[in-house]
Amino acid sequence: MVMAHITIEYVIMLPILIMQILLFPLTANWLMNIWVDSRRTLALQEVASHLGSIIQQVYFTLNRENITTGGITQKPDVPPLIENLPYIGNATLKTILDSAMNSSKVLTITLRLKGTGTTATTRVLLGPNVVWRESTFISNSPNACITAQKFQNKTILLAFGG
Amino acid sequence: MAGSTIDHLIAMTIFLGAILIFVSLFNQIIQTAILYQRNRYLATKCSDLLDNILLNPGIPENWGRSNREPLSFGLQDPSPAFQQYRLSPFSLMRLQSAIGEPVYYPGTGEWYSNITMGFGNFLLVSSAKALNYSTVAKLLGINNTYGFQLTITPIVNVIITENRAGNPLILTVTATGKGFPLANALISYCFISVVEKGSGSYPDYVMISNISYTDQTGRAVLSFNVNTQSSYAFIAYVRVSGLVGVGFHQRVTGDKRYVIPLVENFEERKVILAHSYDVHKFGPPESAVFYNATFVQLSEDFTIRQVKDYQGILGKINYGQGSQFYYDTVTLPFDTGVLIITYQSNNEYGVILMPWGVSAMAFPVVFGEDPLNKTWVVTDIRQVTVDKVVYQAKLALWSLEGSQVIGG
Repeated sequence: MVMAHITIEYVIMLPILIMQILLFPLTANWLMNIWVDSRRTLALQEVASHLGSIIQQVYFTLNRENITTGGITQKPDVPPLIENLPYIGNATLKTILDSAMNSSKVLTITLRLKGTGTTATTRVLLGPNVVWRESTFISNSPNACITAQKFQNKTILLAFGG
Repeated sequence: MAGSTIDHLIAMTIFLGAILIFVSLFNQIIQTAILYQRNRYLATKCSDLLDNILLNPGIPENWGRSNREPLSFGLQDPSPAFQQYRLSPFSLMRLQSAIGEPVYYPGTGEWYSNITMGFGNFLLVSSAKALNYSTVAKLLGINNTYGFQLTITPIVNVIITENRAGNPLILTVTATGKGFPLANALISYCFISVVEKGSGSYPDYVMISNISYTDQTGRAVLSFNVNTQSSYAFIAYVRVSGLVGVGFHQRVTGDKRYVIPLVENFEERKVILAHSYDVHKFGPPESAVFYNATFVQLSEDFTIRQVKDYQGILGKINYGQGSQFYYDTVTLPFDTGVLIITYQSNNEYGVILMPWGVSAMAFPVVFGEDPLNKTWVVTDIRQVTVDKVVYQAKLALWSLEGSQVIGG
């Protein structure tokens, strides 16, 4: 009888208690990871949205009829790092197929936080005369900017600079 | 030995319970922190969206003066030189009002968006040609992700009160800003008194335009020689240190049969003048309405002037029956102003005012969904001018993606 109790205590109960000691920090770590991921995603999303808004404002500034040709370079007021990590941005331009939108174009901006799998996407609506030049936004580059150029034929070329 | 096993079991249960409590409390703290960050993101989005709306005229730039849907939404005034936070009075007029009850006019078979500010001060625009909420949300790229309400309200309040109804008629103009009186402000006013010509004839009117100043309390007392109980309208523009506000007041002797102006075509600037019976149907068929209309504008030297070729526009309108409706159409000038329609029916008189461009009579604009009962609404404000009148633009924004608020 005595041997049976010892078996229950030391063979079953003790490993369970040891496992619980491991379980506690693992749970804490898991929760912290959720928190950190959410925080980074939201911060990146905020930057993406703000960057999209700046691009839209740059486009509308040049799109005015009284501006025939010219260029703008805008340094966006976005943080160079998110939690000590730089991020890079790319964008793609597509024409909206919805006939009601009358050939407006949508610019999809995707930001990626370096060294993590965190990404954020935002979409901005621009006019039919916009053209996007393939380029990359590097947040911690001292020359990170948005460039816009208006041509005689009213086409506006947008790109990331730096 | 049995006691030792029970100790182990209890200890393990307590330990498991402690882990569960820790997980739930920690999770709640994390959720609150994430919500805080989400709300901050919403605030940034609100500020960006408001600037995008107020600092771009949209595509095409002059969509406020056309009947077409814009390709991109913005309210900035493209003329004269894209001043910052200067909004187009016509683009604002093309937004479907969120507060007024829409009006149906069987004469055109159309609904009209309603920004009416009490009897006699109408702004009814064709709903088919005005922009609705879902279209604007789509143009802003926030449909199904964010809900919003845009409110444009005048900053300067100009209240006109009738102190003495008899002859002389005494009116008090009170001008206040946000909680302070506008002392020593310049008042440019226009007084239109209806001259009664008898039943069956067109009414006539006498128009007096002049200037005055408010005292230290922001008031000015003005007197006019008019017949007791005759109809009149009074419009006052008040200016101090670049702040301009508008006030108006009317007295009518007949409010059963009158003229209702309906903005039918923005591009061609066409306004339908309809018999009130066709819109409201006050019981039995009513008699015809005779009208005499004019158009006034606030000129660059801050005086109110009648526009040339818009003096004494006479007409007679009747109610409709079956498919037969009778209405007149007037084409308004290119610039903002006030359409003044004096009317007579069964020897009862009155005056109707309609702003051409919301700023002409400092009409407020409320566009979008009601933010009441929405979870976590962010607001942002900007001071703007519409034509010469100062307004406050407020954007209320909320997420449609179901973020909750912990702790109320």
